Amino acid sequence: MIELTRITKTYATAAGEFAALRDVDLTIGRGELVAVVGKSGSGKSTLLNVIGGIDAPTSGAVLVGGADLRGLRANALARWRGRNIGFVFQFFQLLPTLTAAENVMLPMDFSGAVPARERRKRALALLDRVGVIEQADKLPSALSGGQQQRVAIARALANEPGVVLADEPTGNLDTGTARAVLELFRSMASAGTTVILATHERDIASIIDRTIELEDGRVRVTA
Amino acid sequence: MTALWSKAIRDLRGERARTAMVVLAIAAGIAAFSTVMSSYAILVRELDRGYLETNPASATLWTGAIDQRLLDEVRASTPVSDAEARRTVRARIRTGPIAWKTLMLFVVADYGDIRVSVLKPQRGAWPPKRGEILIERDAFQVAKTKIGERVTVRTTGGTERELRVAGSVHDVGQAQARMENSIYGYVTLDTLADLGEEPYLDELKILAARNRYDEAHVRRVAEQVRGFLESRGHAVRRMDVPRPGKHPHADLMGMLLLSMSMFGMFILLLSGIVVVNLLTALMAAQVRQIGVMQAVGGTRGQIARIYFAQALLLGIAAVAVAIPLGMLGARLLCMQQARFLNFDIASFAVPLWVYLLDAAVGIVVPLLAAAWPVWKGSGVSVREALADYGVSANRFGTGAFDRLLANVGGLARPTLLAIRNSFRRRTRMALTVITLAAGGLFFMTALNIRASLIRTLDGLFAQRNYDVSVSFASMVDPDALERAARATPGVVRSEGWVMKEGSIGVPARTQMLSPRMAAGRWFREGDAGVVVINSALAAKERTRVGNVLDSRNVIGVTREPFAPAIAYVLREPGGVNSLRLALRQNDADSVNRVKAALEKNLEREGLRPVNSQSIADSRIGFDEHLLMLYVFLLVVAAVIVLVGGLGLMTTMSLNVLERRREMGVLRAIGATPAAVWLIVIAEGAVIGTMSWALAAAAAWPVSKFTGDALLARMSRGGLDFVFEPAGLLIWLAAALVLSVIASFLPAWHASRGAVAEALMYE
Repeated sequence: MIELTRITKTYATAAGEFAALRDVDLTIGRGELVAVVGKSGSGKSTLLNVIGGIDAPTSGAVLVGGADLRGLRANALARWRGRNIGFVFQFFQLLPTLTAAENVMLPMDFSGAVPARERRKRALALLDRVGVIEQADKLPSALSGGQQQRVAIARALANEPGVVLADEPTGNLDTGTARAVLELFRSMASAGTTVILATHERDIASIIDRTIELEDGRVRVTA
Repeated sequence: MTALWSKAIRDLRGERARTAMVVLAIAAGIAAFSTVMSSYAILVRELDRGYLETNPASATLWTGAIDQRLLDEVRASTPVSDAEARRTVRARIRTGPIAWKTLMLFVVADYGDIRVSVLKPQRGAWPPKRGEILIERDAFQVAKTKIGERVTVRTTGGTERELRVAGSVHDVGQAQARMENSIYGYVTLDTLADLGEEPYLDELKILAARNRYDEAHVRRVAEQVRGFLESRGHAVRRMDVPRPGKHPHADLMGMLLLSMSMFGMFILLLSGIVVVNLLTALMAAQVRQIGVMQAVGGTRGQIARIYFAQALLLGIAAVAVAIPLGMLGARLLCMQQARFLNFDIASFAVPLWVYLLDAAVGIVVPLLAAAWPVWKGSGVSVREALADYGVSANRFGTGAFDRLLANVGGLARPTLLAIRNSFRRRTRMALTVITLAAGGLFFMTALNIRASLIRTLDGLFAQRNYDVSVSFASMVDPDALERAARATPGVVRSEGWVMKEGSIGVPARTQMLSPRMAAGRWFREGDAGVVVINSALAAKERTRVGNVLDSRNVIGVTREPFAPAIAYVLREPGGVNSLRLALRQNDADSVNRVKAALEKNLEREGLRPVNSQSIADSRIGFDEHLLMLYVFLLVVAAVIVLVGGLGLMTTMSLNVLERRREMGVLRAIGATPAAVWLIVIAEGAVIGTMSWALAAAAAWPVSKFTGDALLARMSRGGLDFVFEPAGLLIWLAAALVLSVIASFLPAWHASRGAVAEALMYE
């Protein structure tokens, strides 16, 4: 499903070149729930960004669902991302002027993958699946952190992507809510979606299929 | 340098693009203000200087023939420092095969010894020889001739002669020929004799020896000269004492400059609004740093000082940019005004006080604009400040209006997003809408005033049922005029009038006027001892229907905007000195054909007119004045639109900058760069549409008020107000185009940024 070959990503900084990823080789299968762990600055977010096509590697090849991201230009990459990748962020990043349902419908608008008249129905079904159907017509400011993250997960699933990338999805949630969110990811993976979590959480071994540990941009352990 | 100053400077350096935007926004306002103030200083100085350089006559007395001995006696025996004799002859000039135009012929005895109201040679020959004529430089446009060409000149009592146009002169004290639609020519006494006129001078121009700018003193001196002339047997027909030391158009210029100053202040105010927007955003981006400074012991005053220091530095930079721009603007504006009022500018030097004022305003405006955002921003609590992160802190949805907006549906999500985004920073949006609406309002006001003035003029000219008026130097036989008119092909009707200073004698059942009555009635058959006055005379004499004016009962007041004070009386039996003609066709060619044929028929009757003018000729002067006013309003509107556009651009840039992470999220969930670009452009268009709606709502009352106020200064009679609906559509299109242009760059940046960078942005 996901195949990274000798991925290196460097950034030019005032102090010189900084390598966020170094020679990363990685393969993740369909329906796997993978946790990417490591200290701050170890390269977790960069790895997710490279897989999601929002950052291009300096060298190496990325194949996601058979698509080679190297040749894609900005517009094509955006369309590919809209249909194939779902993103979940630490601070939810719901658009504050759209209601919960509208936030979920937005990726469908961009991709055009779902017929217009079915979008709301689908958005409501997704919100129902993540347990916040009652909040569908509320603005994000009226929702709790946990509810916002559930809406963000529903948004990530809007176009039925093959891959969901979640960067610290529970970092801003209390323990109970975090557990519920992780269970949602588990059920998504069980249903065939590949889920990659960048996380600091230690107590997730029972939920995930595999852990990838990064240190200074290198894959140290995959277990 | 303290750490606080270092922070103030480095913050500005670190955000170069934003700093440049703030500097430009302040500089735009200061430059407009500087343009106006510098122009004011230059024009006031140069108009008077240029006028005073010509030694303008303190007074002019019209008497009989003035010979050299009388002139020497006046110079020696009266309290004048100098005196000169001239003559002005009303004549007509023909530069083409048909059309005669009005010519004011000024006769100078010795062009090498002009002492009073000096003429400045411009191009061609100087002085003119016998058989030559000089033409005032501004009058060439009216005369439609060139140096070296031959023109035909005819005086009232003289003969028709060809004269060679030998050169151009500048006669500073004359009203602009274009506005008066007449031509000023300058000849010698020999040439005057060749034109069949008696070669004498009858106009005495004097210069008071002392206190030349004291009007009362000048009047006393003029009276003394009058007494002296009369003691020598020279009756004085008329005496004129102009306002000492003031160009005849000083008041007009004063009004223009006053209007410009007011608009300059207004533009400065709008620019201040843009600066408030920018500095508020600047402070919003600093909230976390403010929290850190507070956490390490910074007081509100200390923190505020950093940002006031930034405002000070921004002001200084803006002044440095604005002053050269202001000087350039002033130079262009002064050149345009000088061309319009026909005077020369010897120096564009700007006095020190203008620089000091520019600098003071440039520094004070940003400090004032910064006061509220800085004080508010520096007062945020440490907890709030440190908790502030990126866009999520922007709590849209907590107010009732947000919830109302959230219920607006039926549109595509990206459109909804654009509409709702517009309302996130409501104060910023309101200020932007106001600045942009001000430009639209001025634009629509300019269109409405133009349409209203045209309608008012149409109304004035619709009262006149004649196409050509012909005037004579003295009373002539009305039957002879009637015969000449009847014999002229193309003339439908004719009527003789008696024109006197301030009054017009017309038949009771005149067919040449359809007066619009403001009060009372027009004449009826059998009326006697009655007068109808126009609105200007009613205002001047503070009289109305039922009152008595010069032993006549006022029976009606006509509504005649722009007209001078006039009384209509019933024509007495006997001679007339004006002929009004209604023509079958009134296009320029037909009118010229009728004029030429009528001339011949009048010649046969032994009559020679001093002037014949078509309605179109008399309207040119009005149109020129109105065009000037219209252009002025449009220029002001353009400057305000520019400031408004700059305001919108800064607002859109700030919105995009503050929502960078959101843009990243949009891109992450599949929005193409074009989709993001369109969302931002649509947001700009929403603001543009709101500004249009505000301007459209205010356009009617503001146009009416401004039009009435302008007309009250220009004339009596009231404006026939008309609202130009096309203005609404034009401005809607302009506002949308402007919004797209102003949003283009911010939208481009929003759509092109790296997604990963945007997601990391705080």
